[in-house]
Amino acid sequence: MSARINRDEVKAITGGWDYASLPRNIRIGADCYLERKESFKRFRSTREPGLILGHGVKVYTWTEFNIEPGGQIVVGDDSILVGAVFMCADRIGIGRRVIVSYNVTIADSDFHPRDPELRKQDAIANAPRGDRSRRPALITRPVVIEDDVWIGIGAILLKGVRVGRGARIGAGSVVTRDVPAGATVAGNPARLMGRRTGPS
Amino acid sequence: MSVARMLEHDWFPRSLPANVRIGSHSWCYSSFSCLHYRSRRPCGVRIGHHSGIYHGTFFDLGPDGEVEIGAYCTLVGAIITTNARVVIEDYAFLAHEVVLADSDAATPFPAQSPPKSRDGAGAPRTVIRIGENSWIGARVVLLAGADIGKSAIVGAAAVVDFVVPPFAVVAGNPARLVGWTHR
Repeated sequence: MSARINRDEVKAITGGWDYASLPRNIRIGADCYLERKESFKRFRSTREPGLILGHGVKVYTWTEFNIEPGGQIVVGDDSILVGAVFMCADRIGIGRRVIVSYNVTIADSDFHPRDPELRKQDAIANAPRGDRSRRPALITRPVVIEDDVWIGIGAILLKGVRVGRGARIGAGSVVTRDVPAGATVAGNPARLMGRRTGPS
Repeated sequence: MSVARMLEHDWFPRSLPANVRIGSHSWCYSSFSCLHYRSRRPCGVRIGHHSGIYHGTFFDLGPDGEVEIGAYCTLVGAIITTNARVVIEDYAFLAHEVVLADSDAATPFPAQSPPKSRDGAGAPRTVIRIGENSWIGARVVLLAGADIGKSAIVGAAAVVDFVVPPFAVVAGNPARLVGWTHR
């Protein structure tokens, strides 16, 4: 993994038309492709590093790394992120050879409290020129996507979910619970549709 | 011998691919829609007259991909990703964040390693059809096998990979019949 990325390297990995300086606290493996700097518009991580991409990771136009100051995302080798909007306040781990299709959302927090009074406080703190330091504490639970998982178009994965190796998440699924290795789930909420045995 | 065609209002510094045809009085927001366009078919995208291809629409076509869009169609940001044929008939309306794809886990066709092409082979088979005057709601996903009948409505966020009869209203995930547009 390279320690720092200079401008020429960024140009090489972004296809040359939308390159810019990337955040300093990211680590990118060899042969990665980052299509747009827009993916980092809401990158606010102050972790060292806040994002790790393994070798050969492809990141397309629609992907967003929306990472809060304390958040960290790790993506394994040869994964393809087409349209993943990551909402990360703690940790999201993506394995190797994972495919994340268009319009997917993966969040490790609900980002707003459930309690009505706290929600009001949250709304006031989040108002234009509000005092963000008065936001109620976020409840976070890391998300883990194991190797060889496919996440279908428009799926939503919520906090605390672990998706087992080789599982398939159907288009439009809303995943609120763990998915066993090799399973296929679909629907809202996502339900088990089938299970494959043997290696994926 | 293709002539570079820049859309006069375009902000994206590329011309439209030579095998994209846009009919009279139609509008395409940008050549950005062809960012992942790899079609080598004689005509990869054909758009009829008086159709609007608005911001956020993408043609992520593989080398054998073909899209045919009729007249008076409106696409406000659909992503079409296929290495086969997709047909959208006259007066169809496709709302925001719609995806038309060959498979659940579809990805764009990357420039670095184009898939093997059967150049000159017969026309690709139609995997998705959207019938005349139908309405595809926001966030709908249409997968291979989706065949939406004339004047049907597909409700928001529905996932469809089957034949929807003319005038039907379907909704949900998995989608099911919930009504009719006329009786």
